[in-house]
Amino acid sequence: MKRLFSGVINGLGEIWGHKLRSLLTISCVMLGVASMVVTTGFMEGFFGTWEASLEEAGGLEKISGIPKALSERQAPFAPVSPGFTMDDARALQELVPTIAVLSPEIDDSGARLSRRGMNYSVRVQGVTNGIFEINRYEVASGRMFSDLDLHDHADVIIIGSKVQEMCFKPGETPLGQFIDYNGRPFKIIGVLQHYERLYGTYNTLYWKNDVAFIPITTMASKVQRSQRLSWLNMKASDLSLLRPTVDAASNVVAQQHRGMIDFKVDTNAQELASYSKTKASFVVGGSAIAGVSLLVSGIGIMNLMLASINERVREIGIRKAIGATPFNIFSQFVAEAVTLSLLGGVAGVGVAVGVIHALGTVLPPGSAPLLAPSAFIVGFAFSVTAGVLAGIYPAVQAAKLDPIEALRYE
Amino acid sequence: MNTPATVSPAGPAREVLRLDRVGKRYPMGDTIVDALVDTSFTLREGEAVAILGPSGSGKSTLMHLLGFLDSPTSGEVIFEGKPVATLNERQRAHIRAEKIGFVFQAFNLLPRLTVRANVALPLTYNSTTPADAEARVDRALELVGMTHRAHHKPGELSGGQRQRVAIARALVNEPRILLADEPTGNLDTKTAAAILDLFQELNRLGRTIIVVTHSPEIAARFKRQLHVLDGRVTEGGAA
Repeated sequence: MKRLFSGVINGLGEIWGHKLRSLLTISCVMLGVASMVVTTGFMEGFFGTWEASLEEAGGLEKISGIPKALSERQAPFAPVSPGFTMDDARALQELVPTIAVLSPEIDDSGARLSRRGMNYSVRVQGVTNGIFEINRYEVASGRMFSDLDLHDHADVIIIGSKVQEMCFKPGETPLGQFIDYNGRPFKIIGVLQHYERLYGTYNTLYWKNDVAFIPITTMASKVQRSQRLSWLNMKASDLSLLRPTVDAASNVVAQQHRGMIDFKVDTNAQELASYSKTKASFVVGGSAIAGVSLLVSGIGIMNLMLASINERVREIGIRKAIGATPFNIFSQFVAEAVTLSLLGGVAGVGVAVGVIHALGTVLPPGSAPLLAPSAFIVGFAFSVTAGVLAGIYPAVQAAKLDPIEALRYE
Repeated sequence: MNTPATVSPAGPAREVLRLDRVGKRYPMGDTIVDALVDTSFTLREGEAVAILGPSGSGKSTLMHLLGFLDSPTSGEVIFEGKPVATLNERQRAHIRAEKIGFVFQAFNLLPRLTVRANVALPLTYNSTTPADAEARVDRALELVGMTHRAHHKPGELSGGQRQRVAIARALVNEPRILLADEPTGNLDTKTAAAILDLFQELNRLGRTIIVVTHSPEIAARFKRQLHVLDGRVTEGGAA
């Protein structure tokens, strides 16, 4: 321990003794570490947002049933199909056992909620409790819909945090209060959790706060006056059953629609594939940048250490004469190299923090780098690795010096 | 400072270091140089020995062999009854760190370190605890009268003061043997005399001292003299 400490002290002394030379080497490491941390930050920001949106959109087991226009060949027979309705949901529930949860939805995207003179335009959805599981919503206060709400076409509503913010004063409790929707008062029975994942100053989960839910039966009978679904989302009970579930669901819906393919069944698999592919290529690119930075920093450190050892041959001889083992000499020089590169690492992380903050204010959200804790770990691990690797060769040379030759050295 | 056992009045002191038919050859260009030939002698605890010889006589080679910085090409160096040839480099370094103190003609202090840090240097290579090290450095500096300059750099000291610091460094690990190679070579006569007085004082305290010199006047101040000429060592007379 005391030798490691004395190695670090020696390293600091050497750095102080050769300020310009050390500054240049530290700058090499600093730039390497800074570029690494900023690159990691970019990747972190980019993939973090992508991953979160994948996850928040229902994950990989999610299957979406979406209405679509008929093909030209089938178009003349459009009236044959009843379209996406609650009947499809019931049929799927009954006939496809691998569907774990169903979420039929009827959207009213241009809805207006009003309360005490405050108006707010928001997307209101007629849903069942299935949406909470499939699209990952949680009720923060109050409750979800009861069977009775659905059965009675009740005028109840669950609002998102943005709706609460727009229609209620701070400190006001929305639960139990009424809000007007489509000309009728709806009782607020729940408030959704506030979702936030900041990318710079932009909340990428904003859309999850800007919603309101009412029972699907209420939406169908009192608002839209139509049984037509906007979406029919499903969740497979297991990822391995995704494919058979998609096939079975397609068959059931086609049967229900009398052969009219006026819907499409989608999964997140394609998005996942492109996510994985892009991430793999970024990792390769990032590693290449890291490798080059490591090499440049390493060359800088090794150059300085070799020059330093050349000037300190006599010192090495003296140390050996007074009892230093070859390993003592080796570890002293490695400790010096690591001290040097750690200083560069600290400076590099500092520069990177500045650059990331600056880019965050200049770049639009979605392309700005993120300051991730992993970037710090990467930065420090990087500088220690560069120091150790670049220190080994000079340190071995120093440890191998013949003490007599070293003592004679002028 | 703990003083090792002095010469027992009852009989000869313990053997510390012995050379048994030691030879050292160097290749130099196309020729082979015999730096030391068939050398045998024994050094005992508490002795003060001068190794006297002109420049190029082989005395520095002898000094390096005595401090295990070099290995003989023939014969054996035996330290405390153990052949040095059986020790690896690490074990030799440990003996140097624990039991041998070196003083060089050129002082060989590290210019970047303070006097105190220079003196403490050998203690980083042995098992001394930090608290113990502080006390030892204090004692060594006091012994050579350099306590008041402890926080100066070597560059701020006179030649005599630097050599005192070098001696303090050699003494700080309380070695059994003090090896000095031309310790007064770079000093004026008055300072040299003071350094030699210091060596004699250390010897009086029981330290085994070996001084390599080319000066018969200096050698004359030591009880035992070994003359080196053309690689051969002979016993000289007592002063």
